[in-house]
Amino acid sequence: MNKLLASVKKECLLLWNDKIGLLLMFVMPLLLVFVITIIQDSATRIAAENKISMLAVNHDRGGSGAQLLDKLSGSGMFEFTLQNELSPDLLNQELLNKGLLMALYIPPDFTARLSSGAKEISSLMQRDLGMNESDSAVVTQPKPRVSFFFDPVLQENFTFSIQNIIGAYVTNVETALVIDQLYHDAEIETQPDDLKERMLSNRVAIETFAVGRGSAGLRPNSTQHNVPAWTIFAMFFMVVSLGANVVKERNNGSFLRLKTMPASFFLVIISKMLVYMMLAVLQVVLIFSVGVLVFEKIGLYKLTIPANFTAFATVVLLSSLAAVCYALLVGTFARSQEQANGFGAISIVLFAALGGIWVPTFIMPDFMQVISKFSPLQWCLQGFYILFLKEGSWTDLKWVILSVSGFIMACIAGIYLRLRAEKLV
Amino acid sequence: MSIGIGIDSIRYRYPGEDFEALRSVRFSVEPGDIFGLLGPNGAGKTTLMSIMVGILKADSGTVSYHDGGSRLDERRIRRVIGYVPQDYAFYQELTPVQNLAYFGAMYDLPRKVIRSRTEELLHVLGLSNVADKKVGFFSGGMKRRINLAIGIIHEPGVIFLDEPTVGVDVQSKQAIVDFLKRLNAHNTTIVYTSHHLAEAEELCNRIALIDNGAVIAYDHLSALLKANNSKDLQSLFLNLTGAGYRD
Repeated sequence: MNKLLASVKKECLLLWNDKIGLLLMFVMPLLLVFVITIIQDSATRIAAENKISMLAVNHDRGGSGAQLLDKLSGSGMFEFTLQNELSPDLLNQELLNKGLLMALYIPPDFTARLSSGAKEISSLMQRDLGMNESDSAVVTQPKPRVSFFFDPVLQENFTFSIQNIIGAYVTNVETALVIDQLYHDAEIETQPDDLKERMLSNRVAIETFAVGRGSAGLRPNSTQHNVPAWTIFAMFFMVVSLGANVVKERNNGSFLRLKTMPASFFLVIISKMLVYMMLAVLQVVLIFSVGVLVFEKIGLYKLTIPANFTAFATVVLLSSLAAVCYALLVGTFARSQEQANGFGAISIVLFAALGGIWVPTFIMPDFMQVISKFSPLQWCLQGFYILFLKEGSWTDLKWVILSVSGFIMACIAGIYLRLRAEKLV
Repeated sequence: MSIGIGIDSIRYRYPGEDFEALRSVRFSVEPGDIFGLLGPNGAGKTTLMSIMVGILKADSGTVSYHDGGSRLDERRIRRVIGYVPQDYAFYQELTPVQNLAYFGAMYDLPRKVIRSRTEELLHVLGLSNVADKKVGFFSGGMKRRINLAIGIIHEPGVIFLDEPTVGVDVQSKQAIVDFLKRLNAHNTTIVYTSHHLAEAEELCNRIALIDNGAVIAYDHLSALLKANNSKDLQSLFLNLTGAGYRD
């Protein structure tokens, strides 16, 4: 026990004597979580709170083009800059020159084509309702169209969303025209304002519910997603400092001296495990405290700590231990600090990418989703998400606890076998 | 405590190498000896010392330790030997006090004993004024003395020193040599390798001269000088090992 305490004290002193290194172990993860959360937060808020700037060129000879732009502006999602003097050929150049991201071009025949389409629908309805005695075939009219220009830096799913919103408002304008046409063809003199109002405003409201077990009603947001995810990444990134530290210790003369003493190198490993696990837990405490106490003050969502604190503490401890054991395993197998740094850092980046730290696993191809199930970062992330996003129970955490515990034991076994193979234990 | 060592038919080949680094090495170190393990570069001195202290395991042969008439077991051996490797074997980021506290604890020494031994060793080795400064900033001589202090914090019965005075100034070298003599005066057995033959001649009462992994001469120094008609250790060394380069 005395040896273990002395070894732990030595590790603490080594860390304490390198105050800048120690500071960086806390500052860099905090900075990482801050930056990623702010970036992700602005990305998720852009559609909800910020208006999307768009260049608009309306060459429509009728009124529907202007109506469409009014409705899009009225939605609160878009802010248009009208430049009707531009030709569609120049629009591409204008976007490039001005560094704008999107443009909408409404062609001269937009209203004409919408009206033709409305007439076609009206004729079909009258024919089917037996109101039109003429047997003449209904002529299919050319479809109306608008052109959407976008900068290729925009993500595909974002441009699809914008196109869908524009499409929805075009349908809105078109529906109004169809109603007008129906009234006109049925020779009803009353203005269909009331019907139009009811039809166009009678859209189904969609209530959203984030599924979860608790009653706290946790709302998924950039903070709840990013803080746990990037905290896990930061914890596992400890492989760079701890892995290299183990190699340094093994290559150091003090290690040779230790072999002549009544002490085992495994003692050194255990003391490192305890000290660095404590560091990892402190990292979590610091980052989560900032999430709870500071984020709201700088305009981010406040981090909500799960109600089941015991389960939360268990996941934190297991994740910390998993990160430390992986770092020790890398350090035990690497022959040089360069090997430990290179392999350690890249492997964590890969585990993070596969584990859904950067992008959710459900959007990955099927085979990648299968591979992602073997990332320890994925298991830890699941543990945090079960608690932070779903207010899950111990039962929900069962597989996470088993997987992470299995990973920890595999790492310890690997460390032991390696040290034994090198006759160090 | 008066420790003697028996080396019997030690053979060792480094993994992947064709030649044997040690070829049936056999000699004994008597209790209270200052025993010089001498030889040219690559002769096998450090390999042999590594086997004697338990860092390497011999392919065949035995190393036995005796205290009085009784043979020591492995657990006891680790407690009675002190090893001072050629490389600095301590934490450069820690102070002398912190280093000694850590290595002292590895020998299960009580804190009180560690404190008093630390104070004593730092005083004797002229390091009291830098006791709380990081070792990384020390001169080569100071580092050598720290290296030595760590190896003897537990008052071992036998000390192994691999080139303890390499790269240090005359003052530090003399301080180390004087200190080793004082330890030996208290019946501590010392096994020592060095290329400083004048220093070895001053210090050692017996030597084993190793070349190409084998012992080519082993006896009391005076007897060896007489038998080989050599005026000093350097001429004896050159007579037996030749003047050609070995590395």
